[in-house]
Amino acid sequence: MAESEEEVDVLVQRVVKDITNAFKRNPNIDEIGLIPCPEARYNRSPIVLVENKLGVESWCVKFLLPYVHNKLLLYRQRKQWLDREVLVDITCTLLLLNPDFTTAWNVRKELLQCGVLNPEKDLYLGKLALTKYPKSPETWIHRRWVLQMLQKECSPAGSGQKEQQGQVEPQGEAERSWHTERLQRVLQEEMRVCADAAGRYPSNYNAWSHRIWVLQHMAKGNLKILHDELSSTRLWVSMHVSDHSGFHYRQFLLKSLLGELGQSWERLQSGALNLSPLPLADALQVHRSNGDGTAGAADDHASAVPQLFHEEMELCTDLIESYPGHETLWCHRRHVFYLWHHWRKNSQGTGPQSPVLTHTAALLSEASDPHNEGRSSQAMDVDCVPDSSKHGGYTQNTKRLKRGPVPPCPGLPSEHLFVSRILSSCRSPEQGRFANAYRKWLDSVIGQ
Amino acid sequence: GTQIKDVVIKPDAPNTLLLDKHADYIAAYGSKKDDYEYTLSEYLRMSGIYWGLTVMDLMGQLHRMNREEIIDFIKSCQHDCGGFSASIGHDPHLLYTLSAVQILTLYDNVKAIDVDKVVDYVRGLQQEDGSFAGDKWGEIDTRFSFCAVATLALLGRLDAVDVDKAVEFVLSCMNFDGGFGCRPGSESHAGQIYCCTGFLSVTGQLHQVNADLLGWWLCERQLPSGGLNGRPEKLPDVCYSWWVLAALKIIGRIHWIDKAKLRTFILSCQDEETGGFADRPGDMVDPFHTLFGVAGLSLLGDEQIKPVNPVFCMPEDVLQRIGLQPDLLKTVEQTQLISQYLHLESVIYSV
Repeated sequence: MAESEEEVDVLVQRVVKDITNAFKRNPNIDEIGLIPCPEARYNRSPIVLVENKLGVESWCVKFLLPYVHNKLLLYRQRKQWLDREVLVDITCTLLLLNPDFTTAWNVRKELLQCGVLNPEKDLYLGKLALTKYPKSPETWIHRRWVLQMLQKECSPAGSGQKEQQGQVEPQGEAERSWHTERLQRVLQEEMRVCADAAGRYPSNYNAWSHRIWVLQHMAKGNLKILHDELSSTRLWVSMHVSDHSGFHYRQFLLKSLLGELGQSWERLQSGALNLSPLPLADALQVHRSNGDGTAGAADDHASAVPQLFHEEMELCTDLIESYPGHETLWCHRRHVFYLWHHWRKNSQGTGPQSPVLTHTAALLSEASDPHNEGRSSQAMDVDCVPDSSKHGGYTQNTKRLKRGPVPPCPGLPSEHLFVSRILSSCRSPEQGRFANAYRKWLDSVIGQ
Repeated sequence: GTQIKDVVIKPDAPNTLLLDKHADYIAAYGSKKDDYEYTLSEYLRMSGIYWGLTVMDLMGQLHRMNREEIIDFIKSCQHDCGGFSASIGHDPHLLYTLSAVQILTLYDNVKAIDVDKVVDYVRGLQQEDGSFAGDKWGEIDTRFSFCAVATLALLGRLDAVDVDKAVEFVLSCMNFDGGFGCRPGSESHAGQIYCCTGFLSVTGQLHQVNADLLGWWLCERQLPSGGLNGRPEKLPDVCYSWWVLAALKIIGRIHWIDKAKLRTFILSCQDEETGGFADRPGDMVDPFHTLFGVAGLSLLGDEQIKPVNPVFCMPEDVLQRIGLQPDLLKTVEQTQLISQYLHLESVIYSV
């Protein structure tokens, strides 16, 4: 047991070294944790490595943390010089114990800038810290900075600078594809880190808003990734029906898909497909989804949106019925219906398919709604497209024959029917409260 | 049915305000901390001091804190760039710059620091799109937009930044439910909503809020225990009770929640032995929740506490002294729909 100042010094330096060596011995450590252990055991390091798990015995933390903490602050005040290697080790220990210590992350940013650390290694430290502190705001903030740095390193402008510095031209192509692969790897890893942190703490705002940031900054306009994310989070949210952040992420994906599908449809309309440099995956998506030319692609985009909403509302209905009384599911329903409602309103008259589809959908949902006498006129005002006759029903029907039936999409009447159905069969007071609140919301926010 | 996520307030939970205990708790806080606990929270020390001093001032006990020592500490945390760090040797950040300016305003001693440099620091963090970075490393968050304008307003220098652009950015973070998130596209969150409504109040732009819609979302944060959560299906928490309540006050809708029940919840989070408030009944107390517990009770009209300003979370008399009166939306009577909705709520809760 350490007592004097010198003894603490020696002990702590040895523990910091043990941690560094553990990472050298096993580069696959995937989780950190504290081992409850009030007393030191004679002649044994407090750093325990079992398989891929790194544990720190709790007794040593009260020596370890103040020591590395003060050491770094002395360095920051230029009262003590530390070698770069020591800085790497100290910040590592410090951040595994206290990942919200902003200044320690900032020291690592400087080490990254001068090339002492590499970005992937630093992201790995953050990932480990998140296994014990999945919310840690400063860890997520630091990740975003590192990702931006990495992106700059891999951007065409970044490699262009290198070419100017005298790199041989033929290397350009290989370097570019290496950069692309590197960014792709980092992106996939980032999604895994977010998913892991989301699993460790419910409604983890920082993890899910980081995931949104990653899509916005590293996968802008990439339809394939948006689709992949939508399908890969489907099962997750079904198993986490109280996780408002997870459902919000799906709302974000749907909204982004709406925007992207709308944009690529417009590009197709204006014949810009061959002229403007579409994001690669976007172009691939257009190509893949359509064997018979741009007209088909346009149709696909127009019908893709109702299809997306149909599936999401169906999922939502299913979950609300299977898991009664979850506010999150009812919030999700509000948002998804809101997005759909406004897309339908805004897309009137812009596409050849969507207005007709909408009209049909409204009719379908009304036909199956027995209690809509009072509401039908109001609903028709919203749903009916004034100039639908211009487009005619003929094209719609032929397309329908080619593709099979377009699913009925929700409208106000079908939503009211849904609420009535839930209320008539519900035995949970919470479910009843949420259903009534949803009805009020439909009346006052949508039905205005 | 599903168990609703909430707490149960025990019959023997505290139901009176233990002001003396809280003052003793804060006065003693910091003097008996060991090395380890001190280090763990040093990265937010400046804000910690702001929480402690503000709650002492609200309780009329500010004189018990060591004014000179604190002012010296603040001075030694100002960096060459003009910004403040949480403690000596830490890096400067907008969060702690606001806390430092708030503390000096409480002490009526802003002249102790180089104000022009603070203004330069804040100005330098504004981005082209109007948003604010938290520090030189560039993280963007609507929290930092609030810190920036609140700092400048306290210094009487709001004209130093592009307010129109700043407003544009904050409004771009508004969601379909009337709430706000940390960045465009992010989930609504009561803490961010407090920052954004506070921001719009300071910049005189509250008319841009959809107050009925946002008020609705905020009311839905109240749980059967009376406590408020920060997002759907989260547990109630004293600090969220403050953020939701302050936002409701800013948009003129504070009468939309059940005040008596909220008061009961906040009082039940006191520790009768040690003094101080915890996040929930029975948990460990801390200065952060102690401030927001007391400030919440002040907004609910408790007359043993000084009136608190909902935007700056500082005593109203302090803001009056510097002539700062941020906008609040006028209280409106409930629209029929909302009142129907609320009626429905109370009927169901009473079942």
